Amino acid sequence: MSDIVIRVDDLSVSYGNVPAISDLAFNVRRGEIVCVVGPSGCGKSTMLNVLSGLLPPTHGSVSVNDQVLYRSGQPLPRLGYVFQTHRLLPWRTVRQNLELVLAAAGIPKAEWDGRIRSLLDVLQISRFIDSWPMRLSGGQRLRASIARALVIEPSYILMDEPFSTLDEVTARTMRHELSSIVARTRSTVIFVTHSIREAVFLADRLIILTRSPARVFEEKVVDIERPRLYEDSRIGQIEAEVVERVLDAWGLDDRKRAEAA
Amino acid sequence: MSTGRTIGWSVLAVVLLVPAWFLGYHFTNFIGDPVEVVGALPAFLTSGDTWVNVGISVARVFGGLLAGVVLGTAMAFAINRQGLLKETLTPYVTLALRTPSAIAAIVSLSIFHGSEIGYVAVVAYVTFPYVTTGLLDGLRSADRELDQMAQIYHLSTWAHMRHVLGPFIAPYMFAALRNAHALAWKIIVVVEIFGAATEGFGIQFSYAWEYFRILEVHLWLLLFMAVVLFAEYCVLRPAERRVFRWRDAR
Repeated sequence: MSDIVIRVDDLSVSYGNVPAISDLAFNVRRGEIVCVVGPSGCGKSTMLNVLSGLLPPTHGSVSVNDQVLYRSGQPLPRLGYVFQTHRLLPWRTVRQNLELVLAAAGIPKAEWDGRIRSLLDVLQISRFIDSWPMRLSGGQRLRASIARALVIEPSYILMDEPFSTLDEVTARTMRHELSSIVARTRSTVIFVTHSIREAVFLADRLIILTRSPARVFEEKVVDIERPRLYEDSRIGQIEAEVVERVLDAWGLDDRKRAEAA
Repeated sequence: MSTGRTIGWSVLAVVLLVPAWFLGYHFTNFIGDPVEVVGALPAFLTSGDTWVNVGISVARVFGGLLAGVVLGTAMAFAINRQGLLKETLTPYVTLALRTPSAIAAIVSLSIFHGSEIGYVAVVAYVTFPYVTTGLLDGLRSADRELDQMAQIYHLSTWAHMRHVLGPFIAPYMFAALRNAHALAWKIIVVVEIFGAATEGFGIQFSYAWEYFRILEVHLWLLLFMAVVLFAEYCVLRPAERRVFRWRDAR
């Protein structure tokens, strides 16, 4: 099996005559955290829908472990997804929420308890194993949602701005924890975010998208050893560089607009 | 409010009927003596005939409700799929909703020649549109985000129905069921009278009234109230509390 988990080739998606993604191409390697950043409305959600098997591309292809998605007869890949909101079933306990995806993934029942307990231990919510999601705080629900994504040992995990609804202190804690859990489980992650600093902190590699229709504007390897500190000056420096480069591409450079006027 | 206090208030509301009953007895000639009625209760409740009649009406209500829920649920899912099924089935639901209960009873009993199926069919006919309309509201407001989650994690159709859609529409189902349950009891009494049944609540009540056996009228009325309240407080509400126990966690 090759080292590439996801291969996106000349991907285009249109809604009627309106293109949302145009000629998008990138690869994600096994165990890599790739953070995708782009301006609002550039097509990030559309890209995630294609990568998660919900939306067939208009043109181009997506392959997972060398199997082309959306080809008839092709089994859908086993993936984890951490949404912006937790999307846990409120009428099922944390354990039941996890058991549900384990059953759907065809994991033998004998393994369920061990997998669930060890992940909840790592995510520090083992005492809530039999709690209803509504009893948990926002951060605890997010941890349960991450546990759901990891428990099936997916080929890859998609994360769609999962920390955007948390307060800053909780979000920082979660970023640190996510970074160490992903390193420990050697999961392959595509993490979509608006926050360039968050992306630089988490990523092995950044994929910066253009304005809509989305295509790759630039890829950037984040060459900072782990574990990282969110306050690390090198992260701030890369963030500043990226911001400087995308201002114009995202049509946000007030200085140039002022000069043009 | 705690469950104990809630039950306390409900019991008090019923107990308040007692002084009203005494007043009614003193000022009218068609309301029986409460003391006499209570005195006759033990013999009435220990009579085998009483429970045979109760059992027959309960069976008709249960059978009709079950058929109404099954039919109503199937119609709701079919109509929710839009297209031809929606266009063809919606008029039937509207028609059933608007049909007077007495007409439904006469037609059904004529079709089934007064057999047991006729009683069950009329309860089903009257209750199913309430189940359909209630469930349709639930299906139309289903949580698309949870549906998407189910799709991404490859939940089977059965798992999706059981763990995602079912619990989501459960409040709509319970609301529809309570309406249908109340309607079923109202209609069964009418149908038993129209159908000239030989057994059942409705016909026993009708006989007693026809021959002006006021004591019997009251006994059947009290038992009817007790059975309906039992079904509501000892079956429906506990079931509802169990299904929605996760809500108490908020």
